[in-house]
Amino acid sequence: MRVSLTWLREFIDLPTGDPIQLGRVFDYLGHAVESIEVFDVAWSGVRIGEVVEVGAHPNADKIRVARVDVGDASPHQIICGAWNFEAGARVPVALPGAVLPGGFEIGKRAIRGVESHGMICSERELGLGEDHEGIIVLDGNPAIGDPFESLLELPDVVFDLEVTNNRPDVMSMIGVARELAAWYDIDLRMPVISLPTVPGEPKVGVTISAPDGCNRFTAREVRGITSGKSPLWMQQRLHKAGVRAISNVVDVTNYVMLELGHPLHAFDADVIAGNSLDVRWAREGETLETLDGAVRRLTPQDLVIVDGDGPTSLAAIMGGARSEVAATTRNVLMEAAHWDPPTVMYSSRRHDLQSEASKRFERGVDPNLAPMANDRACQLLTNLAGGDVVATQIDIVANPSAPVVIELATSDVQRLLGTRFSTDPIAELLGRLQLEVVPNSERLTVTVPTYRPDLTRPADLVEEVARLADFDTFPETLPTGPAGGLSAEQTHTRTLVTTLRGLGLHQAVNLPFVSPDELAAFAEEVGDVVSVRNPLRDDQAKLRQSLLPGLLRNVRDNLNRGAGAVALFEIGRVFFARPWPEDDRVPDQPNRVAVAITGPFGFGGPADPPPTADATTALAAVAAIATRMGLDVARAAAQPPGYHPTRTAALTINGRPLGYAGETHPGISRLFEIDSRVAIVELELAPLVAARGTFEMTPISNYPHVDFDLSFEVPPGLPGGDLVSATARASDLLEAVTIFDDFVHPETARRSIALHFRLRASDRTLSRQEIERERDALVTAAAALGAQLRSA
Amino acid sequence: MEDNRPDSTTPDVDESVDLDAKLDEMLLDLRLPDPEALQRELDRIETSEDLAAFERDHLGRKSVIARELSNLGKLPDDQRREVGRRIHEVRLDLQQRIAHRHASLATQEQAGRIAAESLDVTVDYRTFPVGGLHLIQQVIDEVSDIFIGLGYKVADGPEAELGWYNFDALNTPPDHPGRLESDTMYLDYGKPEDELLLRAHTSPVQARYMEQHDPPVYIVVPGKCYRNDTVDASHLPVFYQIEGLAVDTDIQFSDLKGTLAEFARQFFGPSTRVRLRPHYFPFTEPSAEMDASCPSCDGGSASCRVCGGSGWLEILGCGMVDPNVFEAVGYDPNEVTGFAFGMGVERVAMPRYGIDSIRHFVDNDLRFLEQFPG
Repeated sequence: MRVSLTWLREFIDLPTGDPIQLGRVFDYLGHAVESIEVFDVAWSGVRIGEVVEVGAHPNADKIRVARVDVGDASPHQIICGAWNFEAGARVPVALPGAVLPGGFEIGKRAIRGVESHGMICSERELGLGEDHEGIIVLDGNPAIGDPFESLLELPDVVFDLEVTNNRPDVMSMIGVARELAAWYDIDLRMPVISLPTVPGEPKVGVTISAPDGCNRFTAREVRGITSGKSPLWMQQRLHKAGVRAISNVVDVTNYVMLELGHPLHAFDADVIAGNSLDVRWAREGETLETLDGAVRRLTPQDLVIVDGDGPTSLAAIMGGARSEVAATTRNVLMEAAHWDPPTVMYSSRRHDLQSEASKRFERGVDPNLAPMANDRACQLLTNLAGGDVVATQIDIVANPSAPVVIELATSDVQRLLGTRFSTDPIAELLGRLQLEVVPNSERLTVTVPTYRPDLTRPADLVEEVARLADFDTFPETLPTGPAGGLSAEQTHTRTLVTTLRGLGLHQAVNLPFVSPDELAAFAEEVGDVVSVRNPLRDDQAKLRQSLLPGLLRNVRDNLNRGAGAVALFEIGRVFFARPWPEDDRVPDQPNRVAVAITGPFGFGGPADPPPTADATTALAAVAAIATRMGLDVARAAAQPPGYHPTRTAALTINGRPLGYAGETHPGISRLFEIDSRVAIVELELAPLVAARGTFEMTPISNYPHVDFDLSFEVPPGLPGGDLVSATARASDLLEAVTIFDDFVHPETARRSIALHFRLRASDRTLSRQEIERERDALVTAAAALGAQLRSA
Repeated sequence: MEDNRPDSTTPDVDESVDLDAKLDEMLLDLRLPDPEALQRELDRIETSEDLAAFERDHLGRKSVIARELSNLGKLPDDQRREVGRRIHEVRLDLQQRIAHRHASLATQEQAGRIAAESLDVTVDYRTFPVGGLHLIQQVIDEVSDIFIGLGYKVADGPEAELGWYNFDALNTPPDHPGRLESDTMYLDYGKPEDELLLRAHTSPVQARYMEQHDPPVYIVVPGKCYRNDTVDASHLPVFYQIEGLAVDTDIQFSDLKGTLAEFARQFFGPSTRVRLRPHYFPFTEPSAEMDASCPSCDGGSASCRVCGGSGWLEILGCGMVDPNVFEAVGYDPNEVTGFAFGMGVERVAMPRYGIDSIRHFVDNDLRFLEQFPG
């Protein structure tokens, strides 16, 4: 809402004109100032003149020679290209020496051989508006020779206020003035409306067939007006409010909308077919050409005003082209109706058509304002365009609105705002808002005018008290709550995240929307897809079932940007169309953690680069996570979709699935346009963070260790991990076992695995016999798996 | 070697005079090397190998000293002791000279080696990969920790949510524009009347938490939210919020103000001031927006890029919990009061870190991520 300070002063006597101070007051009232615009005189030397005579130019057809009296000894000769004035017109004249906006200096010059001593100005030349069709013709009889700016409300300040959805009343000058009056505790002057009428009945009859869409319909007929431009002062006020001046009839409706907050519509009364208007729901397939020239297909959810020929106006949003007022309009039906806000909102969204009127109606205009707004518009119209107002006002009330009465207990206010608010201060503050307040000991009976639809309950009044008391006056206190903290799962999640960070990975955040291809890439359960009904893009309508598509996109993008290695992780939800265990009304949406690494990754440099990431990197990452989380993660070869079929492990904790680690399937890499191998891991978050393993100290032996190596030839298909764990179980004295060589003979295809063992006892130095015994036990355990000790 | 001879300093004058004369004669016969000459030779040696050869020549088995020592046994008893002493003296002297030379050579050689293996320490020959939490995660953790210090727990809830929790439980009117498809993303799932959607804010977790827990409630809820916004410099369809809720028997408006002021001081710095401006949210009454004094200019610069010259940064929306919300979750609004707040994580992070476009938060460009190695 754009608010001109000079216009505002019509209604209140403000204690300050300082824009900064007023801006703060608007902020404190809850109407945030989005911008403050200063309007000032942007010219010098422009005076009011009267055209004494105007005649043809001897050498040109399109321009004329005028003689203009600006109060000097003799009239000035000025060449002018505009044709919208004749002798007797009073006009703004820039004499030689004048400077127009943009630093344009006026001098004497000859035009087609005739000397011109200045310029008669258009709106655009003075920066007052867009009109450049003709020059400004002043109405009334402004004093000749006066500075032109004396006719304008300059300088002026315009505040652009962000009006919250619950405050339709602030979408008007009166509403804004009322707020300031309450803040400063000063008087509010309403516009004085006196409306002389001529006896008679309007020739147009009105009915409401859709009372659920139209609460009230008020109209007056004005006969015999003269359509034309509205005066400069009105044009300027509209201009500052951001509304384009069109004609006196239309300008008046907009002016009253800005002033009082009630949108109006002016019909050309002579083109209303059948002299009847009805408010009804549109019929399927009906169309309406609106004022903006668009032909709109209507639905039964659209409310229309129809005449004998069908829809003639999209109620509350935009008038129809057919009944538009024009330069020839003589008789006007001035309508002020109150429409159902949701109907307006849905209609305006459906037609993607937001007007100043629809913005107000969908928030909720005062349902009892229509007759006054109607009268005010007719008053201004006859002032500007002449004509007679017909005495009988059409006023059909389909749904009456009565003021709301709220019983407010003083304690309601004190509970939230503190004990300083006893009954009297509450009554005083609410009274300033022009609410009718009857205090009665510890209670107040508050009657709320219908222009404040936001006030219906005691809580709403508490807000008004707090607001007018000024939020700045409240102290700062802290509640005494219980102890806070993270849950075990939350702490473990932080441990997990810092583990991944410690591995050198960066955390990524992706949108959860994927294409069908990306979805299918890692889909385990086809058909369990959750789709967005109204997606931003049709190819991003599916909710992800894996974090990997997003990470692979990130890998590709970073590689394309020139990154040599990319190492990312993400934590987030994936979505499946099946009930969520925690609430079966919503889809399953478990949290996952995923890793994607490509390129040379780890400690190293240009001369000795780290190993290039592959499935082993993924397995190592899982091992690091398992160690840090204190979990025993088992691995087995697996072929989940999207992963490399021979380089991927399924991971479990105590037999419960945890996820997968490996490499991308070559086909998936192609889909994501990645040439290099990508190490990928995706794990369910819940089992990872449900419980960290217990950490208890194992006594540390001070006795010497014994190291030895054994090499086995293993049968085909024996997982190396099985050999490790079987031997690990075979000896109580085994401190560590690691695979240090894993070799497949290129010709025989026999696989040899060499293990390094370390034995140590907690309480003694091992004897040669003990070492031999343990060694035999390890060999036996390996043999049980079919692994034969190779001769040394 | 056995030496039974009395010490030359024995007071047996007569004998010693006689003995001394003989000894002098003997010693002159010894062909021991000249220490000064040896030293000159030593000084010319520049390598450990040459020094070892020198040592071999002069102290080894075939050296003069070794030969003279082996001849000692042939001497009469009275001479052996003194001659032996003399040889040992010379040998010890030589050993010391060699050790000295050895030490100085070792020092020289180490210095040479050190000089040869010099490293240009201004060059990064190798690097460790350094990871980092996403800036959003960093801010979430920082804000959560501030509120944990104030006695809050951290709560979580579903992102695919029921319309009831997202709107109705939060006192959102049935015809609120936020419910339109132009604002909120709806899901093809469940019964149509359940209005499954991607939550538009973290506030539904308020309602869920209160349904499941009795007061008092002190929680913060960080999480992902969704709006039907196309991507531009200040809009993303996915963004993060941190919601806060305090419900107790006697929470007042001043508690809201004090809590958020304390938060702002911890987050933006101890001299931060806050102001509340009335606003409108369906789920709070009174409602307010909170501004924090600009941490960059503190209101001192009309051209400040962080706050746009206003001196204030809009940080969050807040208010006292609307009684209708309490009723929706089964709390008695006559028994409890509370406040709630919600802040956009990106919105507080952007001015703090000078981030010019919200898109950076989801681009996952390493050149961005690596700038915030938190």
